[in-house]
Amino acid sequence: MTVAELLQAAPYSIPQAEKEAILVEQLGALTEHHRRECAEYDRLVRILYGGSGPAARLADIPFLPVGLFKSHALRSIPESAIFKTLRSSGTTGQEPSQIVLDRETAQRQTLALSRIMTHVLGARRLPMLLIETPSLIKDRRQISARAAGLLGMMNFGRDHAYALNDAMELDGDAVRGFLERFGGQPFLMFGFTFVAWQYFLMKLAGQKVDLSNGTLIHSGGWKKLQEQAVSPQELRRRFLAETGLARIYNFYGMVEQVGSVFLEGEDGYLYPPAFADVIVRDPVTLEELPHGQTGILQVLSVLPTSYPGHSLLTEDLGVVRAVDSPACGRFGKAFSTLGRLPRAELRGCSDVIAASARI
Amino acid sequence: MEVEILVPELRSAPLEDVVAELSARAAPVDPFSDRVVEFCADFSQTIFRDREASRYPELAALAFWMRKAELVRLRAEFERMTPPQTVAAPRGLVFHIPPANVDTIFVYSWLLAALTGNRNAIRMSSRRAPAADILLRLWRESLARAAPEIARSAVVLSYGHDEEATRALSLACDVRVIWGGDRTVATIRTAPLAPHARELTFPDRASLAAIHAGRYAELDAAGRRKLAGQFFNDAYWFDQMACSSPRVVVFAGAAEAATQASAAFWDALTECLDEKQFASPAAIHMRKLVYSCQAILELPVVEYRRDPEATVLQLESLGREPREHSGGGLFFAARVDNLRDLVPVLNRRHQTLTHFGFDGAELRRLAAAFGGRAIDRMVPVGQALQFSRFWDGYDLLHEFCRFTYCEVGR
Repeated sequence: MTVAELLQAAPYSIPQAEKEAILVEQLGALTEHHRRECAEYDRLVRILYGGSGPAARLADIPFLPVGLFKSHALRSIPESAIFKTLRSSGTTGQEPSQIVLDRETAQRQTLALSRIMTHVLGARRLPMLLIETPSLIKDRRQISARAAGLLGMMNFGRDHAYALNDAMELDGDAVRGFLERFGGQPFLMFGFTFVAWQYFLMKLAGQKVDLSNGTLIHSGGWKKLQEQAVSPQELRRRFLAETGLARIYNFYGMVEQVGSVFLEGEDGYLYPPAFADVIVRDPVTLEELPHGQTGILQVLSVLPTSYPGHSLLTEDLGVVRAVDSPACGRFGKAFSTLGRLPRAELRGCSDVIAASARI
Repeated sequence: MEVEILVPELRSAPLEDVVAELSARAAPVDPFSDRVVEFCADFSQTIFRDREASRYPELAALAFWMRKAELVRLRAEFERMTPPQTVAAPRGLVFHIPPANVDTIFVYSWLLAALTGNRNAIRMSSRRAPAADILLRLWRESLARAAPEIARSAVVLSYGHDEEATRALSLACDVRVIWGGDRTVATIRTAPLAPHARELTFPDRASLAAIHAGRYAELDAAGRRKLAGQFFNDAYWFDQMACSSPRVVVFAGAAEAATQASAAFWDALTECLDEKQFASPAAIHMRKLVYSCQAILELPVVEYRRDPEATVLQLESLGREPREHSGGGLFFAARVDNLRDLVPVLNRRHQTLTHFGFDGAELRRLAAAFGGRAIDRMVPVGQALQFSRFWDGYDLLHEFCRFTYCEVGR
């Protein structure tokens, strides 16, 4: 199966064994492609892995730590072919990652997102309520990762309305207006997980707002909600209880890997699409862990050709819950994320913050 | 403004009162007075006896360092170094700014100033390690038994990042001691000192170990195990982030001998780490992996060896190692024909050379060749973290004293 065919295949239709055989071949070819086109990547593979042969298993594909892209904008295309550079939002005080895309990789990214979203939204564009402030994307020259995520998702809706005002307060009139027009038919909502909880649901609570025809897609991580002890189950429960909203899909993804869009199934687990996958590794030995054990997530995608990011070790914890158990009609791995690796304080004489140590 | 007092007792007090008390003329105390020596020895005993403190090897090392016998030896050394035509006296008030993350430095810094009869103000960070809090508690316990003038001679305080307090204490002190790196030194230096006052600074430093490949080959298995254990203490006690902990390990000898010694050395370290069941948090492993990738792209790395707790990056040549380090057990390794080959590649930032297998004459020749431009300390492997009155090129006992020249007429 070619990359184009993988992108056209129904995203969750390929049983894991079959999928791995396809990915091993495609990702192996990508390793060789990037070794040819990116001298730095070639050097890394030679020194870290002693080179690369044909991979027998998915776990044999060389991987790079995602943090490397904060200091090195590796690319496998000439400068003249750069179409756009993506920057991650990054944690406060940290440098953002830089991801270099050519036109082809950017187009595949758009297509990949669309393949996944239409799986749950259908082919028609729905009226869309953005759980965001309009000011986020006012300045199109300075686009944050959060704004880029929003712009990417806006393509899947029409008649966009913002649920929050410029001060991040609930815009009750806008929400009521949107629901009066579109609340009786299927509609789409999108927002960042924390914003959807804190600035939307918490403010709507008790107001008898009916969102039962809606589908909420949310993303951005659980860190802030974990601090408030809000679990994914609690988020679902409260939305259902307060607004009648039942179709809620979280997705996990990152700027650093084009194609890694892992959308939640109806069972609450995340599913890799046909052209991507995850591996859970032991944080110490870096060996692959058996399913059911928590470790660091490695993400793999056949889409990045413009930069060597087809196999990346993230700094997120996760666990594979099941494989090919199509309780919600999806083949492949079902996994959950469990937040970021806890940061470690190093001791030392120096005031240099070790966490930001780089060359 | 109010500051938090941690020693002599827990309380908060107005900054002006603290400064006034510290600046008040007290009866002069002779260097190495019996009373001070007794107190320090008692403090050492208190640390030794404490259950909680016994869990931290660095606290035991500190207690050992300030045990009675050592203090008496130090006093004899001090007396010998003071020329007969001078009278040594304390400088007065010493203001210490210790590093946030090395739990014991503040005690060493205070100790040498206290022994020489100075009054001390020690500014602690609010983000201190648990071992530092244990020390503060034991200090208070010892003081409760001590003479009141001892209790009055030191204040340990904490006040966050408040310029006002740093400025007031800087103006009041006779010596300011800044530990904690280039950035801290630069920041604190914006607070002026009194015209007569002086300053000791301990900026960012990096350290290395040198192994004589031939002598290493002569070691039997037990000897290699022992050396690995000593190297472990040097590198891992403070997550390799102490300025005297080795980041680079140099194997001196011909190519084949050095390669063999290097392989055996890292194998022995791996065994030692396994035996101790040493385990870093996952985030450290990730940091080391990212750092390794960066190093491979920026430096002449020819080989990567990853035992989870000890990453080794073999370099073709030295001299471009970065200022920042991942810590947590990541080493650059390199071969040199001879120790002299280090002279052109080391600089003022390099502090401690821990060594194995070299003789005294060779080390002294090396020190002379550096000529003060690099390396302030050469100690055997295993002693990297052992504090000494000689640190970063200073003789601290000397620095904390004034010397009255006193020539007698004929």
